[in-house]
Amino acid sequence: MKEYVLYTGCTTPVRLPSYEASVKAVLEKLGISIVEMADANCCGAQYVESTSHKAFLAMSGRILAIAEKMGLDILAICGACSGSLKTVKHELDHDEELRKEVNDLLKEEGLEYTGKIQVKHLLQIFNEDIGYDAIKSAVIRPYHGVRLAAHYGCHVTRPYEIVQVDDPQNPTIIDHIIELAGGTAVDYTGKTRCCGGPMLAMDEGVATKIGLDKIRNVREAKADGIVTACVFCDIQLTSVQFDESVESSERIPVLTLPQFLGKAIGIDEDSLGIEFNKISPNGIMEV
Amino acid sequence: MKEAYTPTSDFAEEISRHPSGEGINKCVQCGICTASCMVATYENKYRPRKLIQKILLGAREEVLKSELPWLCMTCRMCEERCQEDVSIAEIFHAVREIAAKEGHIPNAFKKTVETVLKDGWLLKDSYSDMTMDDREELGLNPELDWNNAFPKKLKEVYYQEGTK
Repeated sequence: MKEYVLYTGCTTPVRLPSYEASVKAVLEKLGISIVEMADANCCGAQYVESTSHKAFLAMSGRILAIAEKMGLDILAICGACSGSLKTVKHELDHDEELRKEVNDLLKEEGLEYTGKIQVKHLLQIFNEDIGYDAIKSAVIRPYHGVRLAAHYGCHVTRPYEIVQVDDPQNPTIIDHIIELAGGTAVDYTGKTRCCGGPMLAMDEGVATKIGLDKIRNVREAKADGIVTACVFCDIQLTSVQFDESVESSERIPVLTLPQFLGKAIGIDEDSLGIEFNKISPNGIMEV
Repeated sequence: MKEAYTPTSDFAEEISRHPSGEGINKCVQCGICTASCMVATYENKYRPRKLIQKILLGAREEVLKSELPWLCMTCRMCEERCQEDVSIAEIFHAVREIAAKEGHIPNAFKKTVETVLKDGWLLKDSYSDMTMDDREELGLNPELDWNNAFPKKLKEVYYQEGTK
C-alpha cells in the first residue's frame, strides 16, 4: 500500500474540513494510506513568496525536509500549496547554493532537505497511483444523468514544466473521473481560467466578478454542479454565488472531487461531510 | 542587428538579473497576455502588456510604487499562451520583491505576511470553537499543530529593515 504524508495547508483544516475528511476516506478506500504532518508551517504561497523569495524557499523547504525525515512523499490537496512545494522543490533540487542556505536554517531542528521525496497533487494520486481501471472497478453506485463541470485550479496545472499534473490547456483527469463515476463531463467556455480567488486580498469586487464569470459559463453549459480539486477554488466558486446578483434558486452546487467520487464508491455522506456544503448538492447526490 | 530593435533600460536590466525576471527582454509587446487576463477583463487599470512596457522603458519608480504588479493572480494563463516564453507572473514576482525591499508593499500583503511570520500559518485567528466541533464531527483531529518558531526566525533573517 502506497503511503503519503498529507500536507493540508492552512486553509483546508479551517475553511473546508470536509475536503480533508473526504480525501482521507476516498484514498483509504482506494488503497492509499495517509499520515498527518506534525509541526508544519504555511508553505508561504503568494504573500511570503512575493516579498522575500528566500523566506519562501525556507518555508516550503522546511515542509519538504519534514517529509524527507518521515521518509514519505507529500500529498498536497490545495493548488497554492502543491504549486509552492513543487516550485521550491524544483529550485532547491537544481541550485546547491540555495539548498545549502535553506538547510543551514533547518539544521538546529535536525532537518535537512536533500531532494529524496516527491510532491504530488491529489489529481496525480488518482491518475498515477490508483489509476482509472481501479477507480472504475470501485464505482458501485454510479450517478445517472448528472452533468458536471470540472474546474482544475490554475496552480494545480500550471506551469506544466514544474507541476506536471495534466495537460495545462486541455486537462482531463477530473473529467475522466466524472465519467467513470457515471456522470457526464461538460465542456464550458473558459474552463482553464482562474476562479478569482487570488484576487480576494487586493480587490474583492474584481475577484467576485471573475468568479461569477466562470459561474455564468458553467450555467450556460447547463451543468448541474462543479467539481473542484483545490480548496481555494472550491470556496471561491461557492462564495461568489452568495453575491446579491445571484438568485438563491440559481446557485450551482460545488463539490470537491473526493466528495463527488466518494459517493459513487459507496462512502456515506457523513464521512464526506456533504452536510457542510454551503450550496446543497442533494440534487446531484440523489440522482 | 537584433539588439538594435530591442527596447531596454536600466530597470529592465535590473529585472532581468533577478532570478525571476530573466525573460523580460524577450517580450515583443504583442499583448496576448492582456487578452488572456481575467483581471484585465474586469479591471480597466490593469494591463499586463503595458506594465511590461513601462519596465522596458525604464519607469522604475512608477512601477515600484504602483499597486498594479500586485494584482497579478499568478494564474499563468498568459504565460501558457505567450509565444516568446515570457512569464509575467515571475517578472511581477521580481518587481514585487524589489518593491518590498524599498518599502512598497500593499497593506493586504503586509498584514498577511506579518500574520504568517508570527503565527506560522494564515488562519489562527479564524480557528473557532465551531470549526473545532465541525472537525470532531468529521472524525478529524481538532487540535491543529502549527510551528511558528521557524517562521519567526525567518522574519529575523529575511525581513529586518523592511525586507532584505
